[in-house]
Amino acid sequence: MLFNSYAFIFGFLPLALAAFWLAGRFGRDAALLALILASIAFYAFWRPFNVVLMAPSMALNYLIARQLQRDAEARPGRARVLLLAGIGFNVAFLGYFKYLAFGETVVNDVFGAGLILTHVILPLGISFITFQKIAFLIDVQAGRIERFTLRDYVLFVLFFPQLIAGPIVHYREMMPQFHAAPCRFRAEDAAVGISLFSCGLFKKVALADPIATYVSPIYAATAAGHPPGLFGAWFAALGFTLQVYFDFSGYTDMALGLARLFGMQLPPNFNSPLRASNIVDFWLRWHMTLTRFLTAYIYNPLSLTLTRKRVARGKRVLGGRNPSWSAFVPLLMFPTVLTMFISGLWHGAGYTFILWGLLHGVYLVVNHAWRLLRPRLFPDAKRYARWARGAGFALTFPAVVISMVMFRASSVAAALAIWHGMTGAGGATIPAVVLHGLGTLGRSLRALGIGGSASSGAIFVHGWLWLAAGLAIALGAPNTLQILADHGPALGVKPAPGRRVIWRPSAGWAVALAAVAGVGILSLGQLSTFIYWQF
Amino acid sequence: MDESAILAELSRILGEVLDDATLSLGMTTERADVPGWDSFAYINFIVGVETAFGVKFKVAEVESFPDVGAIVRALIARGAAAKGA
Repeated sequence: MLFNSYAFIFGFLPLALAAFWLAGRFGRDAALLALILASIAFYAFWRPFNVVLMAPSMALNYLIARQLQRDAEARPGRARVLLLAGIGFNVAFLGYFKYLAFGETVVNDVFGAGLILTHVILPLGISFITFQKIAFLIDVQAGRIERFTLRDYVLFVLFFPQLIAGPIVHYREMMPQFHAAPCRFRAEDAAVGISLFSCGLFKKVALADPIATYVSPIYAATAAGHPPGLFGAWFAALGFTLQVYFDFSGYTDMALGLARLFGMQLPPNFNSPLRASNIVDFWLRWHMTLTRFLTAYIYNPLSLTLTRKRVARGKRVLGGRNPSWSAFVPLLMFPTVLTMFISGLWHGAGYTFILWGLLHGVYLVVNHAWRLLRPRLFPDAKRYARWARGAGFALTFPAVVISMVMFRASSVAAALAIWHGMTGAGGATIPAVVLHGLGTLGRSLRALGIGGSASSGAIFVHGWLWLAAGLAIALGAPNTLQILADHGPALGVKPAPGRRVIWRPSAGWAVALAAVAGVGILSLGQLSTFIYWQF
Repeated sequence: MDESAILAELSRILGEVLDDATLSLGMTTERADVPGWDSFAYINFIVGVETAFGVKFKVAEVESFPDVGAIVRALIARGAAAKGA
């Protein structure tokens, strides 16, 4: 059941809320039980077997966590082994479902083994659920979770608003909310929740999906051996960047809104990432809870261990006025690239996702190297800061757009073909009718070597208009969390200084949001899954 | 070493990492408040603090310090601040 479906919006959601509020009259325990049952029903709706698969894994994780809690203080050595076994189990569980066929492909490609690929149906949301389970075990072992019950654990893993594609939450930020939830109708929760959900629905069905109708044919044609020229290639790259942004941030707004209807706040996942002025900044604004997870559980421990070892050997570390470049590779490049490699692989079992992750790893390394070099090249930090924002954006945005081609393309060869098109080496054409319609400008373009093609002028013009509108919104409009910042749309969101569009419980806003919701609901119909639900 | 002396020392260490001699940390300063204090600079800073004060934080601790004040309190709790830098 997709969030963007009639069955969910007019069937499941009202029933789940009614059950939650009704049970709330009998106390919080009853309400939370209703929420668990609703979440199980939500997950089972796709494929009841998903629940059968997930239940033993949850039970085992719960038992490991219980034992970890007993051993953490008294027998730390045993707790460490148990933790590693628990992480190993979860990684193997994910590995079987998600990576078996890809592993066989790699073996075939490298050794020519000729293995027949094992196709396993991926339980929905398994990548997100696995990360949360691993984080839970680590947190228990580290003593960050003092008490938990089976009910709390099940609620933490299965809470349906963020079950399939995040935000990836920490137990410690969710459980106090569940334990204090009033479990009854509250006007502010309803208003903020519906506003978030409506904005998210609009982003998904009125922005991401229409742009996709122009973008998908280009990737399909490329996969079939017909790569685009200069304009088509840039359209494919820019268009998919906008599509995935509106799709995933739309999904996230809907998840945040749904949680809020039940009185809970989720952590933020997006903060206008396409406006980022460098790649580090981009990752602090894009899929923020994944960045948080990877930083906390992979990058930090790795980097901390490596840096300490180096200090213990009396060698210099990075940072400061005279950075030691011999420390750059082991202390920065290695942990950064490894973390982004894992991030790429986590997204999808395929060479394209790995290369996308590695590309971002390289971007981050360049960003960090620049930070170390900059004080020497531009000692005047104030003067540097004046033009760094604009120049940084002018570099970061295309870098992100270029990387998205690898994320979307069906194969590495297809991605390379689109990159080739983006250089202009594959020629540049626009529909002949458009060239003709442009008059003098059209003739100048022809003089520049741009040819006329027989393809549809209407699709070309409409496509670029959608793209322009999407870019204007992504780069210029205030984001939903900032608009709602006074009403706690997500955990830890503070109103930014100088914001002008501010949500109020007023008649004007009601009309505006009703229009947004109306457009969203009227655009429902075609079954259109979220990009991140496949992970 | 009292709170303000520890703060001064932490400011000096982070100032070295970020190459900003004017940097001054308070008890409620968070990472997001200091430009350039990303995860990489944070790890450098933590190892710098560990070296200066002769302590070793747990990985989980490093991850969950909410602000500079939490680091100061952790140092005081370890009695490490007595050694000083």
